[in-house]
Amino acid sequence: MDKPRASEDQELVARTQAGDATAFDQLVVKYTPRLYGLVYNMTSNHEDTNDLLQDVFSKAYKAIRGFRGKSSFYTWIHSIAVNMTLNFLKKRGRRYQMSLDDVDVSIQNDKEFLEATATSSPVREADLSELQKRLNEAMMKLSDEHRAVVTMFHIQGMPHAEISKILRVSEGTVRSRLFYANRQLQSYLDEFRKNPVS
Amino acid sequence: MDEFNDNEIAKLLRLKRYEQPPPGYFENFLHEFHRRQRDELLRQPLWRICLDRAHDFMVGLNLPAVTSHPAAVAAVLVCAAVISLKVYRTPAPGGPVAEDRPALTGQTRQVFVAPGPSADAEWTLASPVATRFFNASSLRHPTESAFTHTSAMPPRYVLDSVPVSYETTFKF
Repeated sequence: MDKPRASEDQELVARTQAGDATAFDQLVVKYTPRLYGLVYNMTSNHEDTNDLLQDVFSKAYKAIRGFRGKSSFYTWIHSIAVNMTLNFLKKRGRRYQMSLDDVDVSIQNDKEFLEATATSSPVREADLSELQKRLNEAMMKLSDEHRAVVTMFHIQGMPHAEISKILRVSEGTVRSRLFYANRQLQSYLDEFRKNPVS
Repeated sequence: MDEFNDNEIAKLLRLKRYEQPPPGYFENFLHEFHRRQRDELLRQPLWRICLDRAHDFMVGLNLPAVTSHPAAVAAVLVCAAVISLKVYRTPAPGGPVAEDRPALTGQTRQVFVAPGPSADAEWTLASPVATRFFNASSLRHPTESAFTHTSAMPPRYVLDSVPVSYETTFKF
């Protein structure tokens, strides 16, 4: 996390602690898209994600007076979001309804998307939307903790150190979970490639 | 290359960044957040709201910082002590003063005198209400008038054992 963003967050947090609710609104606007991606890829459901995000910000607003700045606001709010989502997933169990099929139309112009579909790879050979669907299913077969690490590292692009701070585990644990999760995903997707209709 | 390697999986997973909520979701999120906050506030009992406001007020005062100055604390304590002493010593204005003098009629009565210029001189540490035996003979006869004011005496307010309004008129 870069320093100007951290200092901007610090200022907004200080203003919120002093009673300026509009400063917290700015934090909500700033972090909603990023946290949405995090929670959504862990729950695979829009409605659950919406409810969870509302609860995350509500909890953060109540607790912000006690925030002493030992970690950055970025780490703090991500910790709240991940912990609340993991608790929610434990309560929900395996009863989930996937809604991970709403790919934005802007993806068609994305460089990575074009690369993925143009180069010779299993991605090109398979139908991409079907592959994505399978990938989402594979993600949901991971344990909640592994899925959290995969989401933060691969989808959100966080470094190992940041993930370890958010999850309050060692970097070694993060790497280990990531390795195990990759193997599992690889296994599920290979199975799909060999048996596309299954 | 027939197998998914880590790089391919990472690429596929990065595509998931494009999975978006319904259009307008982020624009309405803050509005929804405010609405839920209001609803939550309305669901709280009144005592909880008062407690929260009192807590916020105390936090605003920053009491730990204030109590870290011994001189300020000592000054507050001295002021509180002086004020409480003053309040304890000051008599209540217009309060009843008992007078242990015989009444005009010579009968034993308990008389309350309206406070006048000489009231301060009559202050005593003795209990204002003397303990005495109730004398049944001091009761006023029903036919006796309750009028006690004469031109030579200051106005007195006599607490009779039988209120005037309860006197029988014997008019048939």
